[in-house]
Formats: sequence, structure tokens, C-alpha cells
Amino acid sequence: MNASLAETITGTLSRVARDGAVRAGRGLSGLMGQEITIHIPSVRIGTKADACDAVGGEESIVLGAYLSMSGDISGHVMLLFPIGRALECVDLMCGEAPGTTAEPDELAESAIGELSNIVGSAFVNALGDYTGLVLHPSPPVILHDIAIALVQSVYAEILSQGGDVVMIDTVFEDTSGATAGLLILAPDPLCLALLKEHAA
Amino acid sequence: MTALASELRRISVGIGQLAVSSDAGEVLVAYGLGSCVGVSAYDPSLRLGGLVHILLPDSEGRGCDGREPARFADIGIDSLIRRMVEGGALKGRLTVKMVGGAAVLGAANAGKFKIGERNAEAIKERLLRHGLRPAAEDLGGVKGRTFEVHIGVGRTYVRTAASSPTEL
Repeated sequence: MNASLAETITGTLSRVARDGAVRAGRGLSGLMGQEITIHIPSVRIGTKADACDAVGGEESIVLGAYLSMSGDISGHVMLLFPIGRALECVDLMCGEAPGTTAEPDELAESAIGELSNIVGSAFVNALGDYTGLVLHPSPPVILHDIAIALVQSVYAEILSQGGDVVMIDTVFEDTSGATAGLLILAPDPLCLALLKEHAA
Repeated sequence: MTALASELRRISVGIGQLAVSSDAGEVLVAYGLGSCVGVSAYDPSLRLGGLVHILLPDSEGRGCDGREPARFADIGIDSLIRRMVEGGALKGRLTVKMVGGAAVLGAANAGKFKIGERNAEAIKERLLRHGLRPAAEDLGGVKGRTFEVHIGVGRTYVRTAASSPTEL
């Protein structure tokens, strides 16, 4: 991928991520009955290792969800939290005191699935609105696994199409810094040119 | 002499990497195999073992870059067997095992490219060209796995995020 395309893709997704964060915050606030804001400290084209480092390292166990994106362009959306951060999110969502949820049980997985659905869908919809492309997020698949196994599988999907790997790590946290996760947006390589055209 | 568990050195074999060892104190480990497949080969006479961490089924004529020299099944398996033979192993003595090939992004999403499944098929086909079949395998499913090859004793172990190691 040339530098110009990389710059365009990153620039587009940075704007989209910020818009998506506002929408996701609104959705989460409505769900939880309290003000939740999400901000995006960094959006970057990352490697597998970068993505894993953002959630505690390759071997760390993470909780999150995966959505595929279809329509005019296809791609992958994955939201991951280190277990400790995921449990903090669950407490926040359930209105419990921090530290109440001790284990990533079924309730925790379900709560993180719902959170990921809101956040992931908000980003896909923001991308669709920004580019004018028709995009559909799939229902979320709840993930509870080894970080590198998940990141590697998205990497393989993209690479199998013979194109460049563009994984946009979007690290986000709430205003208190109490929760932090990693959003990976990975458009299919065959769609990059169309994305650039519509982002111009 | 067998090394104590506490003295074992764990050598990480990352995506697209290959390692061969005859050091009884080493454990070759492929962490977090999702759709990737880890393939081990072991010659018990020499206590020589190898592990390759394969990402994709077919190079289709593409070379591997320097960072991931064993990224593809065809090149990765050929390299593993070559390195083992260069180390003195005989193909007929090799015990081969395979782990991984899962659909960790959900069974519903596995249908698109079926990378895990295609990886496993391509590896078996390539092994057959060398006259080899896996003696044991732990493939498929929806969970990531970590695969360990203990060089000193020739044993292999598999674990997931939720399970402790079990011998394969």
C-alpha cells in the first residue's frame, strides 16, 4: 500500500472513529441511564503485535466481540478488552460497585457482547454515513479467548485476499480512564480503493 | 537427562516462524493458534523436534517475506521437514502432530474463507507429499489453542484459554 492511500485510510477512519465514539457514547448512555462518553486517544495502522500489546500482550485472555461488515465494502470490526477492563465495564453497565464482578461469567460475556454491539455498529454506521456507502454490521459474536488467536484470525482473513493488511487500532477509554479497550477496524483489501474514492 | 519443569526454557514460535531444537531443556511453543495451525515433528531417536506456525494454506507462488518465512502451508511444511532432515532426522522416524485451525471469529463467520479448515487440509496434503501423516491432531472448533513441544521427552501439550494443558 502506498503512503498516500495509508494516509487517506487512516485519516478517514480517524474521523469516523471520533464520530462513532460520540454515537456509541450516546447509545451506551441511553442503555445505562447515565452519561458515558468515549474518546479516541489514537487511531493508527497497526501490526498484530501492536494490537495485542494494547490489550495486555499476545498471550493475554481477552473478552470482546466480533462483527463482520458487509454491503458496498466488507471488512472486520473487533472490540477487545483485557479481562480486568471487561469486568470493570460489566460493573459499570450493571450499576454495580467497581470490583463486584469477579469472573468473566455468562452475564459478563452477555454484557460485553451488548456493549460491543452498540460500539461496533456505531462505528460501521458512522463509516457508512461519512462515505455514503451502504454498510451493514452483522450480529456480534462474543469472544473470550487468547488475544493473538483473535487478532491473527482477522490478519489471516485479510491477507488471504492477497492484499495489504490495514488494521486500524483504535484505543479508547472513558473520561475517568476506568475502562479501556481496543477497536480493530480492518477493511478488506479489495475495498480499499473504493473506500478511498468515497472518502475523498 | 530430563530437565526439571522449572528449568525448561520456553521458545516462542510466532506466526510464520519455524524452530528446530535438540536441546532437552527447551519447550517450543506456538501461542494462541486461532485459524493458524501449529505442526510439530519429532524424531525420538535423536530427541530432535521442530515446530512451525502456519498462517495461510497456499503461497500461490508468492514468496514469504523475511519476517514470516513459514507463513504458508506449502513452504512451511517443506521447510520444517528439510530442517529436521538437515538435523539428522529420518522422515520414516518422524512423529507429526497438528493443532489449531479453529474458527475463533464464530462458526457463522467461518464460511467465508474457511481459513482454519483450509490450512489443515493443505498441511495434510503437503505432509503426504513427504510420505507423512499426522499421528495426532487437535483441529477445528471455535477456541484458540496454545501448542507446546517438550524436546527432552518428546511430549506435546495443548491448552486453551479455559483449560489446563492436556497431552496430545
